[in-house]
Amino acid sequence: MRNLSHILQDELIGLRVKVVKSSNPSCIGLSGKIIDETKNTFKILHNGDEKILIKKDCVFHFTLPDKTVIEVNGKVLIGRPEDRVKKIIRRRW
Amino acid sequence: MNGKKIKEIALERIERLFNLAIEMLHERPDLAQKYVENARKIAMRARIKLPREKRLLICKHCKRFIFPGVSSRVRIQLRREPHMIITCLYCGGHMRRPLRKRST
Repeated sequence: MRNLSHILQDELIGLRVKVVKSSNPSCIGLSGKIIDETKNTFKILHNGDEKILIKKDCVFHFTLPDKTVIEVNGKVLIGRPEDRVKKIIRRRW
Repeated sequence: MNGKKIKEIALERIERLFNLAIEMLHERPDLAQKYVENARKIAMRARIKLPREKRLLICKHCKRFIFPGVSSRVRIQLRREPHMIITCLYCGGHMRRPLRKRST
């Protein structure tokens, strides 16, 4: 349960992710393991090649290590990974 | 209370990043380096110390990710004050850690 409410502060590198909604139609349906994160983007490994996703345009399905799937709007994930440790939780999703 | 939680989360993230870095060590050394840098930044932001065993994996001088047998050398010096010497193979710097005697 801890993970569910703390996804904003948690580590996203290494999780599996799927794009369900996006304003960029060619991004929809991409899925894979996150290998890198910057302030505004994710880099994922999709069938062996690297893809860059813009956080603010997409809605993601994250698969946590214990196999639960949660939907997160990319807008709330904006921020450098080390800054998100201190992010205040607001329930928006 | 909130501050305590942040520190717990930070510790967990650091743990996970180091595990990932060790996994990626041979395939993608550049990514492993990046993960370790992230872990250090998280520790600084949350104002905690890296755990002791993690600290040995980061060069004190050039701050790069070093792994024994791959990018660092570990030697033990028993005479004089017993200590171990870790040599970074990137920058050539040494780190010394004391080996405390066991009190039996």
